[in-house]
Amino acid sequence: MLTRRLFNQMGLGGVALLASPVRKAWAAGERPTITIAVDNLWANIAPINGISTTTRRFFPNFYDHIIDRDYIADEQGLVLAPRLATEWTQNGKVWTIQLREGVKFHDGETMTAEDVAFTLSAERLWGEKPYEPRGKTFTAGFVRVEATGPLTVEIETEREDPYIPGKLTGYIGFIVPKKYYLEQGVDGFGQMPVGTGPYKVTKFRSGEVLEMEAFDEHWNGAPPAAKLIWKIIPEYAGRMAGLVSGEFDFIANIPTDQEAQLESYSDVSVKRALAGNYPAFAFNCRPDPEDNPLVDVNLRKAMVQAVDMDAIVTALFGDKTFHPAVPFNFPEYGKFYDPDMPNPLPYDQEAARALVAMTDYKGQVLDWHITRQFYPNYEAAAEIMVEMWRQVGINVRAVILDNFDLVYTRPYHMMNMSMSTDFIPGDPYQPLWLDWGPTSSRATATWKTWDPTPGYLEAGKVFAEATDFEERKAAYLKLSEEWQKVTPGFYLWKSIYNWAHRADITWAPRADGEMRMFDNYIALPA
Amino acid sequence: MTRFWLFKLLRTLLTLWFVVTFTFIVLRTSGDPVVSLIGADALPEEIEQFREQWGLDQPLILQYLQYIVQMVSGNFGESLRDHRPVITIIAERLPWTLMLGLVAYLGAALVGIPAGIGAALRRGGAFDRAIMAFAVFGFALPNFFLGILLILLFSLWLQVLPSSGTGTIWHFVMPALTLSTFTAGTLARFTRSAMLEVLDKPYMRAAAAKGVPPVKRVLFHALPNAAIPIVTVIGLNIGHLIAGAIVIETVFAWPGIGRLLVTAVSSRDLAVVQALVLVIAATMVLSNLAVDLIYGLLDPRIRVGGR
Repeated sequence: MLTRRLFNQMGLGGVALLASPVRKAWAAGERPTITIAVDNLWANIAPINGISTTTRRFFPNFYDHIIDRDYIADEQGLVLAPRLATEWTQNGKVWTIQLREGVKFHDGETMTAEDVAFTLSAERLWGEKPYEPRGKTFTAGFVRVEATGPLTVEIETEREDPYIPGKLTGYIGFIVPKKYYLEQGVDGFGQMPVGTGPYKVTKFRSGEVLEMEAFDEHWNGAPPAAKLIWKIIPEYAGRMAGLVSGEFDFIANIPTDQEAQLESYSDVSVKRALAGNYPAFAFNCRPDPEDNPLVDVNLRKAMVQAVDMDAIVTALFGDKTFHPAVPFNFPEYGKFYDPDMPNPLPYDQEAARALVAMTDYKGQVLDWHITRQFYPNYEAAAEIMVEMWRQVGINVRAVILDNFDLVYTRPYHMMNMSMSTDFIPGDPYQPLWLDWGPTSSRATATWKTWDPTPGYLEAGKVFAEATDFEERKAAYLKLSEEWQKVTPGFYLWKSIYNWAHRADITWAPRADGEMRMFDNYIALPA
Repeated sequence: MTRFWLFKLLRTLLTLWFVVTFTFIVLRTSGDPVVSLIGADALPEEIEQFREQWGLDQPLILQYLQYIVQMVSGNFGESLRDHRPVITIIAERLPWTLMLGLVAYLGAALVGIPAGIGAALRRGGAFDRAIMAFAVFGFALPNFFLGILLILLFSLWLQVLPSSGTGTIWHFVMPALTLSTFTAGTLARFTRSAMLEVLDKPYMRAAAAKGVPPVKRVLFHALPNAAIPIVTVIGLNIGHLIAGAIVIETVFAWPGIGRLLVTAVSSRDLAVVQALVLVIAATMVLSNLAVDLIYGLLDPRIRVGGR
């Protein structure tokens, strides 16, 4: 049998190793280059136009937040910490943000309140024709953002909004330099961005590689690595082999069923975090196609009761994640979360059959549009669910399509989706109202799947305006109840982010998927 | 002769125009690229702004005419994905594909042709059977499977070759080996059968009777006469150089235009896909032209017949 020793004795290994093509060594006392193999980068890395789970991995390495979520102090990241802002105070509808002094952008300019005001401005995010239109979603209620001093910014909102600091921990809180941004335009900026983060972007080829160098003038001191290289390695086999052989220091996105094998290597450490995101599917609740049986809420509820989601999640993920039995009752919502909340639609095939019997459904095939290999294990779960539905007399066909463009092409009865939960830390605003509300793409796009009901809209208005916790919790429960009356979707499980890295590196993952290569998130071997 | 070449040139241009038009229509009518490019949750005004910026709100015929005019003047537009000129993007990637292709095809020719000749000379023997078994193996083994197998063996287990990417000469080994295995197998099979056809010809027996040494008989009498099918196969394979690199470049994260095509298609980056399809078509057409030319050089009867 050909072993590594025999191979080397044959001389082949010796020849290859002569040029050290594989394992890279870190010189003692020098700051190393960290190579991270990822499955994807993104076309544009401007903070808002580049929103994706992929970019979130590397954004905080070159952009700094105004306000940070501290996942080391709190596993759910519910503790807010100063970053570019040193303090923030509320006076009615106005928030005053005090900025850190002496912060430099990568182009050498000093950050001022003007830059921060521009970052959050109508011109860039929420005006008539903003540079990054998706910013509107995250700045609802903004009426004025103004630099009122060299290091002071005021944000005024329509109504009192206690959640502004939380909102600034998201994508809108990544600060950009006004002058450079306007010179480059949003597209140019998205190809060679400048921020205030601990590393500066030196090369970006969207389909290939992103390189960053240490920014030693960073306000919090020089970062631990001299260089970060984020390389696209599309095949998992290549990422895994490269990590084990020492070509890469980190890899991202490991198929769940491959984690155990990777963990068996002694010089590799596997990390995972439950993400603030839930894969789900939406029922098409509208009469489009005209004969859509899913307009009947009883059929939708029957489909929810017909699937044993706990069993499916255990089969596919073991105990690494869970199925949220009651929609929007998610553990990351702190005081809003009730672990004992009763499930109004538990797994019960008899109840499901009874609900089907109450409908006019005659066994028509329901098409479920699914994006190929977009959500880990989604297709496998779909196969099992289709069988469970068949057992109660509902015929679903999982239609696997190559991209979202095709998924959104009518006709369909169900479609895959996922929803994030972390826009406001510790508050269910995003999944419950932002993502299903009257301005959401789910209710407005050409491919929309539901029309919010008057009851939902009324409850949502109360919820959006509630600032006192008790009042807001009551409004949240009412809004959730209104949503469940319609049941326009079904949440499957909490997503898992996973990574692996050299075992001699100490690294702390974050539930928002950020791969921070600085501060107390990483310690490199001496 | 001039008419012959003019006809071929005209046919080439017509083929390319047909490819450009077909690609344009199929890409524009098979779905909206906006969702893939700016994300599933894009707001309606964001979609509208994007369409306006890239002229996707114009009537299809107008978009087509603009594209043809631009293309004729050498401007293939900008990538919708990363906003850089398509020509620049392709110019960055093409050398990597060509380098890999050149190494792989040279290797395949150096292994496949001699193996085919050897198998023909020892027809029915153990060597012939061994070569043909290898040829079938190379021919039948899917590229992605062989590539992953090599990664697991040489990078993960033996840890002697880099698993992916570029940087040293060692990075060429696995992708080139994977790419050349299929071509070497094909070449060995075709060379063997072409050689078998000519080895029994009267002029071969005459050469042997005249006392021409075996090596000379094979190299100067048999091989040139067997060259037409071999050149055809080489031409076809060179035509597939870019298309064939798609899988290899994805498996080995090779920064060539095969991988660029995968990324561009999945994100519906229209300008890049159109230009790449044109490059692939041009490679096919030009390699066919080159094969025609070589036919003429190899066989004067074809040259004369073409007048």
